[in-house]
Amino acid sequence: MTGGREDILRGTLDLLVLKTLDMLGPLHGYGIARRIEQVSENLLHLNQGTLYPALLRLEQKGWIGSKWGTSDNNRRARYYSLTKAGKKQLVRETESWEKMAGMIARLLQGAEG
Amino acid sequence: MSWLRLLGSRLAALLRKQKLERQLGEELRAHLEMLTEENLGRGMSLEEARYAALRSFGSVEQVRESYREQRGLPMMETLAQDVRYALRQLRRSPGFAAVAIVTLALGIGANTAIFSVVNTVLLRPLPYRDADRLVMVWGTDRPRGFDTDQVSPPDLRDWQSQNHVFESMAGSTDVMYTLTGAGDPAPIIGYEFSAEYFHILGVAPLAGRTFAPEEEQAGKNHVVVLGYRLWQSRFGGDRALVGKNITLDGAPYTVVGIMPPGFQYPGVELWTPLVVPREAVQDRNYRFLRVIARLKPGVTLQQAQTEMNTIAGRLAAAYPGTNKDEGVNIMTLRKMTAGDIRAPLLVLLCAVGFVLLIACANVANLVLARAVTRQREVAVRTALGASRTRLLRQLLTESALLGLAGGALGLLLAYWGTGALVAMFPPTISNLNIPRVDKIPMDAWVLAFALVASLLTAVIFGLAPALQACGLDAYEALKESGRSLSGSKHGRRFRSALVIAEVALSLILLVAAGLTIKSFIGLLRGDLGFNPDHVLSLRVLLPDYKYSKDAQRLAFSNQVLSRLQSLPGVTSAGTVTFLPLSGWWGVRNVVLQTQASSQQQMPPAVWSSVTPGYFRSIDIPLLKGRYFTDHDTAGANGVAIISTTLAKRLSSKADPIGQRVVVDGIKNPLEVVGVVADVHQLGLTSDETAEVYLPFNQVPTPLICFAIRTPSDPTSLAKAAQRAIWAVDKDQAVSYVMSMTQLASESLAPQRVVAVLLGVFAGVASALAAIGLYGVISYSASQRTHEIGIRMALGAGRSSVLRLVVLDGLKLILLGLGLGLAGATALTRLLSGLLYGVRPHDLPIFSAVSILLAGVALAASFIPALRATRVDPTAALRQE
Repeated sequence: MTGGREDILRGTLDLLVLKTLDMLGPLHGYGIARRIEQVSENLLHLNQGTLYPALLRLEQKGWIGSKWGTSDNNRRARYYSLTKAGKKQLVRETESWEKMAGMIARLLQGAEG
Repeated sequence: MSWLRLLGSRLAALLRKQKLERQLGEELRAHLEMLTEENLGRGMSLEEARYAALRSFGSVEQVRESYREQRGLPMMETLAQDVRYALRQLRRSPGFAAVAIVTLALGIGANTAIFSVVNTVLLRPLPYRDADRLVMVWGTDRPRGFDTDQVSPPDLRDWQSQNHVFESMAGSTDVMYTLTGAGDPAPIIGYEFSAEYFHILGVAPLAGRTFAPEEEQAGKNHVVVLGYRLWQSRFGGDRALVGKNITLDGAPYTVVGIMPPGFQYPGVELWTPLVVPREAVQDRNYRFLRVIARLKPGVTLQQAQTEMNTIAGRLAAAYPGTNKDEGVNIMTLRKMTAGDIRAPLLVLLCAVGFVLLIACANVANLVLARAVTRQREVAVRTALGASRTRLLRQLLTESALLGLAGGALGLLLAYWGTGALVAMFPPTISNLNIPRVDKIPMDAWVLAFALVASLLTAVIFGLAPALQACGLDAYEALKESGRSLSGSKHGRRFRSALVIAEVALSLILLVAAGLTIKSFIGLLRGDLGFNPDHVLSLRVLLPDYKYSKDAQRLAFSNQVLSRLQSLPGVTSAGTVTFLPLSGWWGVRNVVLQTQASSQQQMPPAVWSSVTPGYFRSIDIPLLKGRYFTDHDTAGANGVAIISTTLAKRLSSKADPIGQRVVVDGIKNPLEVVGVVADVHQLGLTSDETAEVYLPFNQVPTPLICFAIRTPSDPTSLAKAAQRAIWAVDKDQAVSYVMSMTQLASESLAPQRVVAVLLGVFAGVASALAAIGLYGVISYSASQRTHEIGIRMALGAGRSSVLRLVVLDGLKLILLGLGLGLAGATALTRLLSGLLYGVRPHDLPIFSAVSILLAGVALAASFIPALRATRVDPTAALRQE
C-alpha cells in the first residue's frame, strides 16, 4: 500500500517546508519547491503540485501564514512565512526527527556490527 | 483546540469557496509560469518549456482536487449535494411528495398539539422554588371514603412538631371576598395563607412583601397580597398601590405585596393572613386547612409517608374520639395541580402516537412503491461506483426532507389545534379537578419535540425502504427489466406486514374511541335527577359585613325571589346553597336520632339549604311525603328532605317519613318530611347521591344560588334577573349567570374533548389504514395483470378475478383485525378510569368497530379488484 510511505513523506515534507521558511523567510510555493529540490540535490523527487495541499494543511494548523505579494519579476504570488507556532513546531519536529534518525543510525550500525 | 481551528478554517473555506478557488488557480498558474520561465532560461523552446513545467508539477487537476478536499468539509458538501438531489427528486414527483408531507403533517401535528398540552400541564416546571420537593399533606378517613381531607389546626401543630421529614409545613384555607370600590362589585376568590406558606413556595413578591407571622392574629390581619392578574385588571398595575388600602367585604385591607405573574395559584386572586378561629384552636374535628410542606433534601415521598403514618397512628391512639380513623396522604404538588386531567392526557398521547405510527407505515409504503420504480436509477448509480452508504445516506436525506416538511406543516396544524384544546379546561366549573389553563404555549420544548418527532419519523419510514433499495444486486437490477424486480417477494411481504400493522393499530384506536364515545353518550343521556333545560342560574355570596344575621339573608332572598317570580316568563324560582354541577358542595354527617350515639361513622351526605320553589324550579320529583313550604320557618319544627339513597342508607326497611335525624352543625334533631329523587349533585361522573336538604328559612346560608325556570330561552332572562338582584342590593356581586344546560355541558368538557379527539384520531387512523391497504392491493393487482390476463384468456370469469384480488386483501385485513383485537383487549384496561357505565371489554363496541373497519378495508381492496376485472386479456398478454 502507498499509504505508509505517503505518511512518512508527508511528515518529512512538513519538516522540509518549515525548515525552508525558517531559513529563507517568506517565500512563494515555487521558491519553496525549488529550494527543496536544490537542497536534496534532486534526490527527493516530488511533483511540485503536491506542495500546495501540504501548504494549506500547515496553514490550517497555524504553523505558517500567507500573504499575497509581488515576486522579483513583478508577478503576483502568494508568499508563505513561518508563524510563532510554526517555529515551535519546527523545533519539536527537528528534535523528534533527530531522535528518530539517531535511533535508526544506531540500529543500522548495530546490525552491521 | 486545534481541531476546532481546523473546523473553523474549513467552514470558512466552505463559505468563501469561489474566491479561494480563484486564488488557487492564480497561485498554480504563477507557479507554472515561473517554472516555464526557468526552463526557457535553460534554452528550451516555449513549447518544451511549458511541457517540462507541467511534467515536474504533476497533474494540476489532482492537485486541485486534493487541495479542495483538504480545504473544505467533504461531508457537508455531500450533504448539500444530497439535499439538492433529493429536492430535485421530490419536485419530479409532486403528488408523492404532497401526499407524504400531508400524511406526516397530520401525524406530527396531532402529536405536537397533544404534547404541548402535556408539556403545559404535566411537564413544565411549577413556578415555585425546588418545586419537586413541594407536597400537599392531606388527612384521610378511609372508612368514610375521604382520601384528601382537610386538616385541623391542632393536628397540623402536632405534625409540625413531631416530623423529621419536612423542612416546614403550613396551612391555608380558601375564602371569598366581595371587592368594592374598584369597578363593579366583584366576588374574589382568595386564600388565607399562613406567613410560612409563601416561604415554602419560595416565590418573592413582585413588589412589597408577604406576611409576617404576627399578622396571623385577629386584629392585625387586615393586610392583603394581590395576585398579578387582579392587580392588572382592577388596579391598572399601579406599583404605588403597595401601602394603600382596598375594600374587601366593606373593610379596609392594606396592600402589602403583589405577586409576580408566574405565581398562579389556580383561580386565586389574592391572599390574606390565615387566622385560626378561637373555637378551632383545640378542636380536632374542625378540619379546614389545606397543608403544604417542603420535603427535606434527600427525603423521598415514601419516607415522608411512612413517618407521617407513624405520627397519625400516635395521634389516633392519643385522641381516639376524633382521630381514630385519621390517616395521612402525601401527594406531590405536581400531581395535585395536574389532577384528573393526567390520565386522559396520557391516553390521548398514546392514541396520537398510534396515529403517527400509522402515518409512518403509510409513508413507508409510498416510499417503497416509489423505490420500486427507482430501482433502475439506484442500480445505475451503484454500477457507476456509488458506495452503498452513500446511496443509503442519499435516500435517507430524502426521507428527512419529507419528515421536516411534514413537521413544519404539522407545527402549523398544532399551533391551530392547541387553541381548540384549551376547551379541555373550562374555567367556570370548579368541581373538575383539573388545572386552570388559559393558553397552551408553544415553547422550545414543543418545538424540540416536533423536530425530534419529524426526524425520528423520517428514520422510521425511510430506513426500511432505503435498506431494501440499496440491498439490491446492481447487476441483477440492470439485467432484468424493471418490472419483474419490483414484485420481489421480500418487498411484498414487508408491505403486507405494514398494512397488517396499520389495520391492527387502527382497530385498537377505534375500540378506544368507541368505548369513550359510548361512555360519553351515556353521560349525556344520563339522568341527572333533575331537568336542566330552561333553567337560568345566578350565584351570589352575601358578604358578612352586611348580612351577618339570618334575618338579613332571609329578607334579601325573599325580596329577590318575589321580584324574580313577577318577571314575565318565569314559571318558578327558588334558591339552593350549592347548585348541582357547579363544583361547589358541602357535606354533613346525617344519622338517625336513634343511632346518634353509636360510634359507627357513615359516609356524610351532600347538603344544601333550599327554598320551597327550588325543587319545582329544577324539577326534582317528590317520591314520598311533601316538599318544604313557607310554613317551615325558623320558629317551626326543624325539618329535612332526603334523597332515596340517603333514605336507604339510614334505614333500609322503615319508612323514612317522620323519622328524626341528627345533622352535623344543627342543634336539634330534624324530622324527615319528604323523600326526593337522587340528584347527581357532583356531576354524572360521580355516584355520590346521598343528599339532605334543609329549609332555607331555618338554615339561611350566605351562599345563595338562584334557579329560575322559564319556558323560553333562559339566557334571555339573564339581564332582568341581575337587575332584580341589584334592585334589592346595588352592591351585590353576581356571578355564574348561565343556563343549567351550559353548566351541564361544561361539566363534561374533559370527557367531551377526550371522546371527540379519540374519535377523530381513530377516524384518521382508519382512513390512513384504508389508503395503505388500497395502495398495497392495487399495486399487487397491477403486478398480476399478466397473470390475470392469462386467467381471463383461459376463461376465468370476472367474479373469480374479483375474488382472487379481494382475497388478497381479506387475508391482510383478517390478520390485522386479529392482532388489533388482541392488542385492544390488552390495552383498553388502561381506559377503565375514563369510562363511566361502560366496561373496557364491552362486546358490542368490539364487534361494531371490527365490522366497521373490516367494511372500510374491504371497500378499499374492492376498488382495485374491480379495476383488475376490467383488464383486457389481449392487452395484458401482449404487455411483456
